[in-house]
Amino acid sequence: MAAVTFTNITKRYKDGPKAVDDLNLQIADGEFMVLVGPSGCGKSTALRMIAGLEEISDGTLAIGERVVNDVPPGDRDIAMVFQNYALYPHMTVRQNIGFALEVAKVKKDEINRRVDDAAEMLGLTEYLDRLPKALSGGQRQRVAMGRAIVRSPQVFLMDEPLSNLDAKLRVQMRSDIIQLQARLGTTMVYVTHDQVEAMTMGHRVAVMRKGVLQQVAPPQELYLRPANLFVAAFIGSPAMNLVTADVTVEGDDVFCSFGGHRLRISPKALDRYPGLRGRHGTKVILGIRPEHFAMEEDLELPADQVLTFRCELAEAMGAEVHIHAVIDVAPPTVDGAPTTAEDDPEALVTGTKVIARVDGIHTVAMGQDVRLAVKTHLTHFFDPTSGEPLR
Amino acid sequence: MSVKRKGPKATAIRVLTYVVLVAVAAIVIFPFVVAVSTSFKRPTDIFTYPPSLVPKQDVTVPADQVGTDGDPVPVFTFPGRDDRPGEWALVDADAPLAEFRPLDDLERIIVLDAAAGERTGATITIDGEEEDVFLVDDGGTQVEAYRSRLTSGGLFVSVDDPDTSVLDLVNFATPSKEFGPRFENFSEVLAERDPETNGKGVGRSLTNTVLVTILVVLGQIITSILGGYAFARVQFRGRSTVFLMYLGSVMIPFVVLIIPLFQLMLQLNWRDNLVALIIPFTFTAYGTFLMRQFFLGIPAEIEEAALLDGASRSTILWKVMVPLARPAIATLATFGFLYAWNSFFWPLVIINSGNPDNAVLSLTLSTLGGRSSTDTNLVFAGAILAMTPPILVFLFAQRYFVENSASSGLK
Repeated sequence: MAAVTFTNITKRYKDGPKAVDDLNLQIADGEFMVLVGPSGCGKSTALRMIAGLEEISDGTLAIGERVVNDVPPGDRDIAMVFQNYALYPHMTVRQNIGFALEVAKVKKDEINRRVDDAAEMLGLTEYLDRLPKALSGGQRQRVAMGRAIVRSPQVFLMDEPLSNLDAKLRVQMRSDIIQLQARLGTTMVYVTHDQVEAMTMGHRVAVMRKGVLQQVAPPQELYLRPANLFVAAFIGSPAMNLVTADVTVEGDDVFCSFGGHRLRISPKALDRYPGLRGRHGTKVILGIRPEHFAMEEDLELPADQVLTFRCELAEAMGAEVHIHAVIDVAPPTVDGAPTTAEDDPEALVTGTKVIARVDGIHTVAMGQDVRLAVKTHLTHFFDPTSGEPLR
Repeated sequence: MSVKRKGPKATAIRVLTYVVLVAVAAIVIFPFVVAVSTSFKRPTDIFTYPPSLVPKQDVTVPADQVGTDGDPVPVFTFPGRDDRPGEWALVDADAPLAEFRPLDDLERIIVLDAAAGERTGATITIDGEEEDVFLVDDGGTQVEAYRSRLTSGGLFVSVDDPDTSVLDLVNFATPSKEFGPRFENFSEVLAERDPETNGKGVGRSLTNTVLVTILVVLGQIITSILGGYAFARVQFRGRSTVFLMYLGSVMIPFVVLIIPLFQLMLQLNWRDNLVALIIPFTFTAYGTFLMRQFFLGIPAEIEEAALLDGASRSTILWKVMVPLARPAIATLATFGFLYAWNSFFWPLVIINSGNPDNAVLSLTLSTLGGRSSTDTNLVFAGAILAMTPPILVFLFAQRYFVENSASSGLK
């Protein structure tokens, strides 16, 4: 087991943009590190550089004490699970799992013993003589895992290993992988674009965007203290609502006005975002997570912390209802803001979409006016030009 | 299966389709059936009329069963002669006999022993010739007849009753035939070249062809795998240019290459040598292209996984890529096999000193059917021998054309 250290790592493609830009990241020995970001953010490239499948253009990559920039993949003592599993189709499960050991010229009975152990751990014992094509997706996934763990490598690399599985199996495998990593204690670098996986699995999560590392933090901190607008918008599902608002400071009270609404911000929010106080008369980006709305009758708050929205769409999820509404104000367009405007040019015209997540006992009809209390002490504030938090 | 159209019209169309298909299939396969049938026939059996697809031989009985000795005796019947029922063995094909024509019916012929009949002393004039009148036995009654001809014919003995015998012209009897393939056609054609034993030396040529074919196919597979893998997965300067030039060589027709290739073989002193049939054909641009395309289709992740498993390039190639490329290799081997097996023109040019020991099958076959050849059955036997291996190869290899196992390990 070993730590993985990126020092000023850059990956530059010929005549192309930088896939990874000056990445500095320390992954501790035994840590479960998740790299997350939208597609094209450089997370897979970073992982493949650890694997040795991509050349490093600049910087130093160390596994443990050893600089591995020029060490071929096979000599790095790492194992990787691919998104499409990349099993050898012509080999049985036993041969697949044992291939690395066979290449390393380990003795036959030693190979058998270790393959049996790995298969036992993953519940694959009865499938050892099957070919991959006779296995289900989940079983193939486990074979790929078996191929990785049988070698007892220094580092596990996983490249979106669950994205080809159906939703139910994904939840199951997610917990299996967490337990497996906890049991083996091996350093794990896990790439995903699914922020639920990122939040639930990693000891720490590294959020990347356009090749640049945005924030590295434990999941909870990422959620509660996003380093910038991009992280705030990326982490959480449904995503944080971001509204451009005018700030008015009246004595100790701070008010945010947007699209005909006026919201008093609880002073507790100012403890987290003291920078807000100096923003009188300017615009900020107000961030409200969907779950920080509640129906007025569920959460007794003063009337100045309640907003009235027209429900455009209500999605009853059972445990909760997602209420979609539109605020009559242009969505933020600062770099790093969620791409609503890019995805949907209509949004620019019709205003900022917001989603509120309220208790599932409520029945909300389309077109109905709903009064939503806002837990303003949990709101976030960002600079509308730089996207930096107003801390 | 999908849902099929129903109703009488659809049924009629389907029936018609099958009728047409079966008819075309029958037409296409007929020459092959004729070749197989002829390869088992006796020389005497090939040009009989009416023609028959079934190889036949004469029915015989042991000589002692019909009261003679020596070889088995062929059996004949007399169709339309109710007085001669059953089968008759021809014990003597050269028995002297006489044809008599009764005076009351000059068109009728009575065939008897040459010594039969008693002269009555009278004479009769036929066509200006004066002929003696005989008193002859015509099925129990004595009739007056003249002797129109003295000749030789067959002495037939009844198979059922060896004491009964008749004399008649052999032409008037129909030989009895039974199913009888002649396997010696094959052994003769395979035997060492020798006019005495009718050996045609195809066996030696077959050995040469098998040797050439195996080496050409193996060579093509190995060079195509190595070249195809390099072009597909190894990065090197000028790769695409070299590949285009390599592929471009497919466009050059072989006839253009014959003279330079022949010169080259002379320089190497490989004329009349089997090596001249092997080495120039172990490299194939087509096969390299085929393997390259197949290797490109194998997901890069499988190779990357092997790299991470610590495998070297050659381990990846031989333990991962090649087993996955089995369908492509089978296709390549089949094409290479057919090419090497059937190639005629180049062997004709380069194995040209009349050295039959280095001739390949296609050359020997062409000499079998020469202008002076009468052994049609042997020509066909040789053709069938030459045809069988490609057919077997195709039957065994065809499942690889449709099988594709490379994608089954993904998703």
